Amino acid sequence: MSFTVDPRRKEKIVRYKAPKNQGQSGGVNEDMMPDYMNILGMIFSMCGLMMKLKWCAWFALYCSCISFSSSRASDDAKQVLSSFMLSVSAVVMSYLQNPAAMTPPWAS
Amino acid sequence: MRPVFAFLLLALLCACQLNTANNVNAETEDDFDNDFAEFDDDFVEASYDTETAENADSSRRAGADSADWETLEVPKKRTVDIDEEEDGIVENDDEFEHFQDEEEFEGYDAGDSMEPPIDQKSEPKLKIPNIPLHLRTHWDSYWMEMLMVAGLMAYFANFFAGKAKNARLAQLWFSTHKALLDENFALVGDDGKVENENPGLIKESESLYTLWCSGRTCCEGMLVELKMIKRQDLVSLVAGLMRPQLDQVHIKIDLTRGLMDSFVFAVGSKKTITKVFKEYTDLTKFCSLVAKPEDRYNVPSGFGVLSEIPEATSAILESRVITALNKYQSYIDYLHISDQFSGPVPQEENSTLKQPETRPVLLAGFNLPKHAEMETIKPLLLLIFYLMERLKTYRMSKEAKAKADKNRLRVEEEFLKSTHAARAEAAAQRREDKRKQEKERVLAEEDPEKQRRWEAKEQKRQAKKNAPKMKRLAVKSL
Repeated sequence: MSFTVDPRRKEKIVRYKAPKNQGQSGGVNEDMMPDYMNILGMIFSMCGLMMKLKWCAWFALYCSCISFSSSRASDDAKQVLSSFMLSVSAVVMSYLQNPAAMTPPWAS
Repeated sequence: MRPVFAFLLLALLCACQLNTANNVNAETEDDFDNDFAEFDDDFVEASYDTETAENADSSRRAGADSADWETLEVPKKRTVDIDEEEDGIVENDDEFEHFQDEEEFEGYDAGDSMEPPIDQKSEPKLKIPNIPLHLRTHWDSYWMEMLMVAGLMAYFANFFAGKAKNARLAQLWFSTHKALLDENFALVGDDGKVENENPGLIKESESLYTLWCSGRTCCEGMLVELKMIKRQDLVSLVAGLMRPQLDQVHIKIDLTRGLMDSFVFAVGSKKTITKVFKEYTDLTKFCSLVAKPEDRYNVPSGFGVLSEIPEATSAILESRVITALNKYQSYIDYLHISDQFSGPVPQEENSTLKQPETRPVLLAGFNLPKHAEMETIKPLLLLIFYLMERLKTYRMSKEAKAKADKNRLRVEEEFLKSTHAARAEAAAQRREDKRKQEKERVLAEEDPEKQRRWEAKEQKRQAKKNAPKMKRLAVKSL
């Protein structure tokens, strides 16, 4: 499987173009995990803030962590940051309002 | 008069005790909600003792000989209630010092035998810690929070470790294949910027690295995607325990137009083949799943073949390729060759009215070895280059070519048929839009004569449109 002729062609160089639909709902192999986690984190944050459910706020924090770790380099960093801030604020606010220890959802 | 006075005093005592009991209950309930509960309590206790001296004196004056020590408590409780109602008083901590100061009380009760029981009785009450609930709770009760924080720390520790491992694996793959890539491509590694700042792997995410190579005969470019296990994400790792995943490398080569004859073909592990058969438009439309490919094309067992033109399939699956498939069975996920590649099947039906653009491609997916022995899969890249050369030289027979052309025509007709209604609708919409524009243009003009003429024309057109369709018969006048 070796080739005697040099297959390289400088004149045939085509520069790299990033796929257009990257980061959006496009390709089959597109990883939707960060987007799902972002939305889930936002829902949990809201539940934590509005309904004063501490475990929701903690879950939101976890969701934003997962979203952060699997986000693409081309993704907007602001989005990840805002999701983080929202979940952290949900945790902080819920403990400011009621500093008592968390009770698991199945215990209450 | 004296017994009546004593009786009244007793009645007052009972009433006050009831009242205080209620207050105490209310206070303990309030403590849960009221952050300033401790201040209230301290305030009460402070006022109690300052008043005690006076009360003791007054009760002595009223004739303490007939009353026991309990009677002394009556005024005490009453002052408690009175003082509770006075909100505006600000007390300092210094005021409590007199509790420890023995000289504080010596002026009035040095020889009084009633005093010690009062102190003994009230002292335990003074020592009740009036700390708010949240300060009183023990750290042990925060075990859930500790668990959560520990989980977060574990997640981030794993994030950094996994990220580093993925980066190391990707770099290992690149360093192993770099020499071979340099031999075959004039450009290896491109970030798409005007000045190529970063010739090498591009990090798309912590688990996805890409490499663009270009400048070779037969192809426009080759995109290598190193899709690693999401080692940086602990949740994915745990999910991977249930459904094991592998590090994969996906190679996508844009072939030069006209390089290969027109056919669509795919070979790979049965699981992947059934998956891609549904996913990709070209495979769905042109190919059919070959029954018993082991007998027909000698592919290793566990492999599936999707073929459009049997002649082309057997030409591709010739002895050298079959040998490679057998040797690297565990590493080869799929090989997909197509001149009609247009990406995945669109999600929404009839979403596009134009047939998607097609291009010739060679796609391949390989599994990376588990123990990072990248040298073992190096020949797979050679197989790709060999396939490219093979596609360049291979030409189908006339019959096969005719069949392929027929297939393409059939697919095109099917597409046109399926989108006929949608296209007619779009055309009607376009006509309507055009007419609206014309109307606006005419109305905008100042000339009333022109407007009238246009309206008449429009009316005529509408009447013609609404009139029942029938053949016009020319009646000759006799």
